Order: sequence, then C-alpha cells, then structure tokens
Amino acid sequence: MLILHDLAPLHWAVAGAAIGVITLLLLFSTNQRLGISTGFENICALVVHARYFQRSEITGSHGWRLPFLGGLVLGGVFSAIAGGGWQPFWDLGMFDTVIGWGPAGKLAWMFGGGLLIGFGTRMAGGCTSGHGIFGLSNLERASLESTLAFMAAGIVTTNLIYRVWGGI
Amino acid sequence: MAIVYIAFGTAFGWVLSRSGAADYDFIQKMFLFESFQLYGIIGTAVVVTAPGLWFLKRRGRTLTGAPLRVSPKPRHPGNIWGGILFGAGWSITGMCPGPILVNVGEGKLYAVAALAGVLVGAALFGVLYERLSGPLQLPALRVGTGDG
Repeated sequence: MLILHDLAPLHWAVAGAAIGVITLLLLFSTNQRLGISTGFENICALVVHARYFQRSEITGSHGWRLPFLGGLVLGGVFSAIAGGGWQPFWDLGMFDTVIGWGPAGKLAWMFGGGLLIGFGTRMAGGCTSGHGIFGLSNLERASLESTLAFMAAGIVTTNLIYRVWGGI
Repeated sequence: MAIVYIAFGTAFGWVLSRSGAADYDFIQKMFLFESFQLYGIIGTAVVVTAPGLWFLKRRGRTLTGAPLRVSPKPRHPGNIWGGILFGAGWSITGMCPGPILVNVGEGKLYAVAALAGVLVGAALFGVLYERLSGPLQLPALRVGTGDG
C-alpha cells in the first residue's frame, strides 16, 4: 500500500509499460530525451550566475524542462485529489515506525539527502530517468555504470539505516 | 508547446505517484530486497523503451518529420562518483528526482525540504564545476556531465 491515502499501487508491469510509452512518445512527438535531473540546473540557471548553467544545453531547454517539471508536481496534486483529497501531511511510513523523528528532524534529514541527490545527479549526468531508463534502453555504457553505482549505493545506505541503525 | 510538456510531466507524475516509485516505503523495500515492485517497474520500462527506441532511431524522424535527435551521454568518472552520492541520497529521502516533485505535489511536507536540498546541491555543483572538472576528469564545461 502507498503512504498516499493507503492506496493500492498499480501493477509493476502496467506502471513500467506506461513509463516506457511516455518516454517513447516524448521523444517521437517533441524530440526530447527523457531526463529530469537536468531540469534542476534549469531552475538554478534562473537565479545562480555560474558559467556552468549558461551553457547552451541549459539556456536552450528552459522551454521544455521547466514546464515538464511543473507537470510532475501537477501529476502529484491530481493523484492526491483523485485518491481521496489533497492535504498537506508528514507521514513517512517505516521512517515513522523505525526511526521516529518529528517534523523538524524529517526536514533536516530530507534536506541532507536532497543535497546528495542534487550534487550527485549533476555530477553523474543523470538520474533514474535519464540514465536508468533512457540511457540503459539506448545501451549507453555511461548509463550502465551510473545505474549500477546508484543502485549499489542505495542498497548499502538503506541497509545501514534500517538493518544496522534501525535494527529491523 | 509548454502545455504539451506540462501534459507529459503530469502523466509521468501520475504514474510515479500511483506506482510506488514516489513512495518512501517502496523505495526502502526495493533496497532491502523485500519488494519486487520497483525492480519490475524499471525493468519493464527498459524492456518497453529499448525496442521502441531502436525502431524510432531506425525510422530517424519525429512525428513532424524532423530528424530524430538522440545524443548519448558522455562517459566520465563522475558517472560513478556522482551515482554513488545520488544513490545514498535516494535511499535517505526515498525519492529520486522525479518523485521529489511528485511528492511535493501530493502534499508531503518533508518533500519540500528534499527539493530545497536538491536545488542547493545542484547549484553547488554548478558553482564548483571548474574546480571539480580537473580532479574528476569531467567533460569540458560547454559539454557538461550529461543531460537528462
């Protein structure tokens, strides 16, 4: 069950096929390679004046990456509304039952994890979508190496948090 | 065109929201090998995308007849080092980049802190690029580490 309204999740085959179809349609209809984490650079480019954010790949892609990112937020909003209503909440599943930190702790925890994601995905040149789905599908070696690296690091970190620290 | 990209993002966001890909517990259970859900999702997505991509590249044209553009990402040591940092962050937050935005939309308040962290992290990387690119053997600044 999902944390969101305790909904039953889509079957993995349905969800995976839908993601594949969306990826292909995005490329076929708009000529864009699926990738989300670069969009964070587009946001940064609006306020941070680093040379890295002024390269043409960023300045030339605001028109698609920014609305695409906005759509992701909207998808979450619609999903919550349709699933039982939109309301702000703090529920965090097994983090609540095993670690048990309150809102302030969760904000610090999430901010720290977010730093690693922002810095790491931009160093890696992609995330689960750009490397894990598009890059692997396109048989790119950089994507295979990056995917193996982030999956391995995720497995090690979660096991440290829950099996070693949390003691489950 | 913006409306088209908003629509693609919304559809993608809906699937991430309802599949478990934007759910803290499903991510932890993937990394603990207690749930097949996320492996099934990513695996199926690749199994569907790979042959479709092969076909689209062979066809070589988009819907409007423009030449199809699929540029592979550059390969460099940052793929692995950055991947390790990202994997740790994915585990800590239970969200990868797309789901961070989806979780903000769903109303999960802690996801706003994850988003703030991500933006600060990406900004730091951009500001430090010229200092990191030598030691990490990253591509030239105008190329970047890979976009997506």
